[in-house]
Formats: sequence, structure tokens, C-alpha cells
Amino acid sequence: MAALQTSAPPAPSGGRERVRIRNKRTVAQRLRHDWPLLLLTLPALAQLAVFFYWPSAWNIIAFMDYSPHRPFWENPFVGFAWFERLFANPYFLPALLNTLKYAFANLLFLFPLSIVLALVMHSVISTKVRSLFQSVVYLPYFFSWVLVVTVFVQVLGSDGLVSNWLLGFGGDRMTFTSDPDSFLFLAWLQWAWKDAGWGMIIFLAALASINPSLYEAAAVDGASRWRRMWHITLPGIRPVIVLLLILHIGGILNVGFEQYQLQRNAVGFQTTEVLDTFVYYRSVIGTDGPSFGTAAGLFKGVIGLILVLVANNVAHRLGEQGIYQKS
Amino acid sequence: MATPSDRSPLRRRSLFKVAGLGAAGAAGLPLIAACGDIESGGGTSQATDGFDFLPTYKEWPLPVEPDLVGEPPNHPSGFTTYPDPVPAIEAVPSNSGTFEITVPMWGEAPSSDDPYFAAIAEASGGTTVNLRQADGNTFAETSVQWLNANEFGDGIMLFSWMLFAHPNFQETVVNSFYDLTDIVKGDISERWPLLAGLPTASWGQSVWSKDPADPETARVFGIPGSFSGGPGNAMFARTDLLEAAGQAMPTTVEELLDVARAVSDDANGRWAFGGTDYLTPQWFGLAGGDGWAYIDGKLVHNCERPEYTEWLEFRRTIWDEKLVHPDLPSGTLDGQALHKAGTIVFQLDGISWWQGFIDQTTAEGTGGTIAPLGALSAKGREPLVHVNTGVDSWTFLNKDLSKEQVEEFLDFANFCSAPYGTTEYELINYGIEGTHFTYGADGTPVFNELGTSVVQAPVNHKTMSGHVQQFLTGTPEMVQARFEYNASVKDFAEVNIFEGMRVEGPADFKSAGQVLIDQQNDIAFGRADLSAIPEMVETWKANGGETGREHYTAAYDKLHG
Repeated sequence: MAALQTSAPPAPSGGRERVRIRNKRTVAQRLRHDWPLLLLTLPALAQLAVFFYWPSAWNIIAFMDYSPHRPFWENPFVGFAWFERLFANPYFLPALLNTLKYAFANLLFLFPLSIVLALVMHSVISTKVRSLFQSVVYLPYFFSWVLVVTVFVQVLGSDGLVSNWLLGFGGDRMTFTSDPDSFLFLAWLQWAWKDAGWGMIIFLAALASINPSLYEAAAVDGASRWRRMWHITLPGIRPVIVLLLILHIGGILNVGFEQYQLQRNAVGFQTTEVLDTFVYYRSVIGTDGPSFGTAAGLFKGVIGLILVLVANNVAHRLGEQGIYQKS
Repeated sequence: MATPSDRSPLRRRSLFKVAGLGAAGAAGLPLIAACGDIESGGGTSQATDGFDFLPTYKEWPLPVEPDLVGEPPNHPSGFTTYPDPVPAIEAVPSNSGTFEITVPMWGEAPSSDDPYFAAIAEASGGTTVNLRQADGNTFAETSVQWLNANEFGDGIMLFSWMLFAHPNFQETVVNSFYDLTDIVKGDISERWPLLAGLPTASWGQSVWSKDPADPETARVFGIPGSFSGGPGNAMFARTDLLEAAGQAMPTTVEELLDVARAVSDDANGRWAFGGTDYLTPQWFGLAGGDGWAYIDGKLVHNCERPEYTEWLEFRRTIWDEKLVHPDLPSGTLDGQALHKAGTIVFQLDGISWWQGFIDQTTAEGTGGTIAPLGALSAKGREPLVHVNTGVDSWTFLNKDLSKEQVEEFLDFANFCSAPYGTTEYELINYGIEGTHFTYGADGTPVFNELGTSVVQAPVNHKTMSGHVQQFLTGTPEMVQARFEYNASVKDFAEVNIFEGMRVEGPADFKSAGQVLIDQQNDIAFGRADLSAIPEMVETWKANGGETGREHYTAAYDKLHG
């Protein structure tokens, strides 16, 4: 937006030069000047309008006793009744706490893993090894959760590969995939296998933007590999790390659905009940309907917004760019 | 990078944001203040008999009588021979319409280019019915959204058990589907003799009221599927494996436990059981359906009865003693494959697995024999057997169709209702001779590979409407055995205490039921102790159980006076 506020050239006026700063152009002038740029934004705006703003407007049904079979205006307003029902449900709080537990575990253990993977990848010189490494860590992202869970059961389940191998040596069957106490570790293994490679990609892009001459200069000055990473690499990708961290925090309540739903029977609902499964079982299976689900979704959205604003504010206070550059 | 901010947390821009949000909130307050209570999700009850607007029943004479004569509905008759089929419809209509019907599909959907579908269109009089096949495992839940969005083509087929996934199916029915009443009312035997031959009870169960509180608003909205009685599920034993292990078929729960211990070998990868969650409650005398029994003058739910504890104790015992496949809780097991392989000896499945096992093991050459366990009970009680109590499914037509289109589809439904022993039945259920099946030595159609993949799909035109009579058919030995099995359990069939009424429970009751299922699994798989049951039941009562009792009691009182 800085381009819109450029100073106009000084206007000559007889003997006395009067400098007149024009702070603002008219809307018509702006349109005439920027129409190609505005045109370019239209597809994105249309996409946002159709798939984000229009559906977001329907959040209003969280305050209605909504039925899709009635004309919209005939749906009665019920105020915060659905929210009251949501908060009064005895299984809501455990689901929220589980959600936060998995979200923070993901943030603490998976987020750094992606950075580490990116650093390892960045340090590999051989193209062949890089390609192999990239494929191995990156491909599982495209597997469905059904496949991921099935593979884990086939390998680590009670009748899986490892269990049968242990039995052959006179051991016992593993109960790892059906033990509620170790589910957090199991979930972390599944995240690591499925998602860490994908998270690595963005950090790799950030690493590529670091000027190689910095490394050369540091090497000439005798900096070790570790010191180059600490003083060049990590500061170079720090803005990206902070940006992704803030975005991650904003979506912290979106821990996913399939992973927990698929393993609900295996380790029990008290371990796997997160907000999304809670809403599914209340709103779809339990037939509380779309208003209840929307109220829960709106709650998640509000919490996410607050967390993003707080995290961004903290980032700015720490001198980071955050999700936008402060003017 | 920006320099650290030293300004107040509530800056000018933030203040505007907060003010904006506050203004929006304030503007909404009057709106919110003038609000009512939530009225949806209270459940419904609907009478399903005593109507004067149903099609007049006119018996459709069978071309050939069954050689095994039972006592329908819980003991259906059967055919052990394959009769020469004769045409059921003499005056084939001349139609040309095309319909898109959404149906559930389990397994791989066949190509719509197969000659099977063209042959059906031609034989039915020119009506093309294209199947929009969607995953059967998620069909019940996803169909809710398709119906809300009116995106289900010209019609949708729903099994009766799928209705429980819908938040308010009564409201969905009357707002989404075509009201057939004026078309099918009275004598329809001239144009649709086979539909007129469907049991009146089937049509009665196809009725929903536009206003649940006003019986006068009741109308016919669905084309009923078959009315099949008798047990719909069974615990199938690998009789060949029992024989090899020197074990007899158990006749009580106690005997079953002994046999299970004898045939299980955890270290070598063989277990007695796969799933045991449904059907097994009947061994302990627990009710089917929504779990209500009328005891000592009031409705009592399964979880409130002492037999419930016995049932969970049984499930916990077989888990603790390693008589159940250890990966069962993962939900990733293919029970039928394990049963064929002999990895599990008892397979809990739909009754159709009897024929399915024979077909598959014959085709694969793997061998083995199975038979269902009879009417078991524990502690010497009178056995109880859960049986089907109504139509299996409905085909609902989109309300946006024209009357002429609906009438044409009813022509097609009439074609699909042709019973065993007719050429229409043979085409729909076996396909084209030489292309999908050949006649075996005993004259019975035997599927080839194409027939197995295309025609033997569990849902297609064969389930589009009910047959005028439902028979036991298939491999002669299986039909004979199933006939005898039905005869042996029919006297223990559970009486439906809501006969003549369809009751949809309140949302809270359904949610509490889901939590109860989760807690049952916790106990069954060793994650919680049996001592947790009283607390579970109290939680269930407080979170929807009592609401459910009130609702079902009101329905029961209305039905029984």
C-alpha cells in the first residue's frame, strides 16, 4: 500500500516554490493506476468469497434452531442455547483438554522435527541421496489416515509383524496400538511418519533463500558446521519459523478427525475424543444437528482467532515480523 | 525486521477492532434477547398401520409354490430346486425415461456399461435406472447431507437401519420426497399388480406424517423393500474346524465358552471370536432395537438390567482369556477373510454370510463348512432371538419429479417386485445366461466371474422394491439347513413391543446411547472395570436415558392404551 502514498512532484508557482504534498489520490485515480493489479486479485477474491466468506456468514445458524427444510427466515433464533448445551455437555471439557493436549504435543514434537528434517536435507550434498531422502519422508503425507492406521496395526499391532516376531522368540504380543497410556507416543509416531516430511518443504524453501556467500565467508573465517547453522541458517529461517508457528497456533484446535476416529475403538473414546470427534458423535451420530456443530465450530474459530492475535502480538514484541509487517 | 513495540497493548487500531466487535455484539443482543428454546431433536413417533389410503392388497398368484413351506415372516418358505422361470408381467409398458437413483455400495462398483443394466432397461419396458453408488460404510451419515442439499438425484435407497443416522428423518421425508399417496391409493392392481401384492404392512411402514402431532397428515412417501422376517444376523461356526477339534456345536453360553477355550490358540494365531458386540446381547435376554423392554409395568433399558452386567462380563472374559482376535479393537480386521482362513472360528455376521461363505470358498477352492449357532442362552434361561421386524429398505423419489415420472418409476418398481420363479427375478438376480451365469447340474444358476462382480452386488435393482413374497433361495443344502434353523429358533423370536409404530428417539437419548457403546467397549477390551457399570448407567440416565424413557413410554402408552 506504500505505492499509493508516494509524494507528488513539487509544483512550480512563480517566484516562490511551494511544495505541496498530496497524501491521497482519489479512488478513481487509484483504480486507473492499479487496475491491472486489482484484476489479478479478482480470482483470489472470488475464491475467498465463495468458499470462505459466504460459508462463514452461515455461522449465524449457531444462534438458530436451524432446519434446512424451512425457509431461512423461519428458523427461530435461540440465542446462545446451543453454546449453553455445548458447554454443559459433560464430555465437552474432556474433549477440549484432549484437543489441547494433542495440539501442543504436535507443536512441541512435530514442528521442530520438520525443521530438523529440513536442516538434514539441506546439508545433504548428493542429489541421489537427497531425492531418496525426500521421497521417503515426503510421500507418506499423501497416504490417507486409514492407510496410516492400518500400516501401524499391521506392523505394531497385537497380531502384527513385530508381535509375531516377538512370539517367535518366546516373547509376548505387543499391545502398543491398543494401549491408551501410550497413545500419545503412537500418535506422535504417526504424525512424524505422515506429516513431518510435508512440514519440511516450506523450511527447505526458506533455507534456499539464504545467501550462500554467508556460508562461504563464515567457512573462510573458520566457523564450524555447527556455528554456521546456529549463526546463519537458523537466523535466516527464523521469520518463516515464527510465521508458521503463529499460523499453527491459530489452528491449534484443528487437530484432525480421522486419526482419532479410526483409533477410537482401539484405545477408547476417553483417549481419542477431540473436539472434532465430539462434534461428529453429537451432531451427526447423536443427531443434534447442524446448529450444534456450527456452534462448536464457531467456538473453535474464536479461540483460534484469539490465539493468532496473541501470538502475533508476542512476535511483534519480540521483534519478529509475525504474520504481517508492522508499519 | 520490525523493532519491538513499546506501545500499550490496546492501541488505536486494536481499539477500533474491539469497538467494532462490541458494536456487532451489541447490535445482536436485542436479537438474541428475543430468542426461544431449542425445539428440534425431541424425537417422533409414527403409527404404521390402520390407514385407509394404502394400496389395496391383492394377492399375486405365484407361478410356482415353494417346496419348503414355512410360517412367514419369521420362518419363511424356501426353494431347494430351481423352477423354470415364467414371465411375471404380461403387458410390458412402453417407457423411455432415465432415472438416477443413489444407492449404497459395499465393494467395487460395477461398470454401468455392462450388458446387465441394458438388459434390465429393455426387459422393464425401456426405463433406464442408473445407479449412483456411494460407499455403504458411510452412506447413512453422508446421506443426511445429500438429502439436506437435495442432491440425491431422482431418488435414494435407504435401509431401515440407516434412518437412525438422520437427525429428524420425519422432517426430511415430508420435505424431500415425493408424496406417493394419490398415485398408489386404492386398487393399483391393474397397472402395478406386483406392487399391489406387497404386504399391506410394508406400505404401512412407508407412511410418515407431515405433522407428527396430527395423524390426519399421514402420507405414503416410500416404495417399500422386502418384508423379511426371521433372524437377520447370526454367529456362524466353522463346523469343520469344530469337528476336527473334537468339539460339538454349543447349545448354551456356558458350552460356547468351553468350546471357545478349546479351539483358541493365541500363540499360534487362532481365536474363537472376531466381533461380539451385536447379537450377543440376545444370549442374555437383552432387548433388540433401541434396547427397551416392558418389565413390571414400565419400560426398562438394557443397561438397567442385571443381564447387562452378565453380557459385559462375558465379553470381558473372552477378551481376558485371549479368545478374541487381539486386533479386533483396531477395526481393521476383515472378519470374513479370517473366518474363511480359519483364523477365527466363530464369525458374527449378517445371515447372508451363510450363502456368501459357500459361494466364496467354492470359487476359491478353499473349502470349509459353516452353520449358525442356535438359540443360545445363559444360566438356563429361556432363549431370545432378535428378528427382523419390518421392511428392509425404502426407495424414496425426489419431490421434484413429475407425476408421469413417478408413475413410470412405479412401472419399474413393479418389475423389480417379481418373485422367485419369474424371468424378471432371474434377470435381476442372476443376470444374462451365458454372460453372467450358467445353469449348474441341478439347474440352479451359477455365477461366473463377471456375474459375481456385477450382478451379485448387495444393492442394485434387486433391492429397488420388495418382492411380493420373500423366500429362502440359494444352494439347496444351505436352503434346507437355513429352513431348519429358522424353524428351530422361531419360537424364541422377540416380540416387538412397538409393533405398529415407528419411534425415533430424542437426540439426547441417541447421544447418551453412543457414549454407552463407547463405555461398553472400554469394559469389553479391558480399559475399564465391570465395577464402572453403575456409574455408566447413572451417566446414561442423566444425559438422555430418562428423556428417552419418557419419550418411548409416551409412544408405548399411545400404542397400548
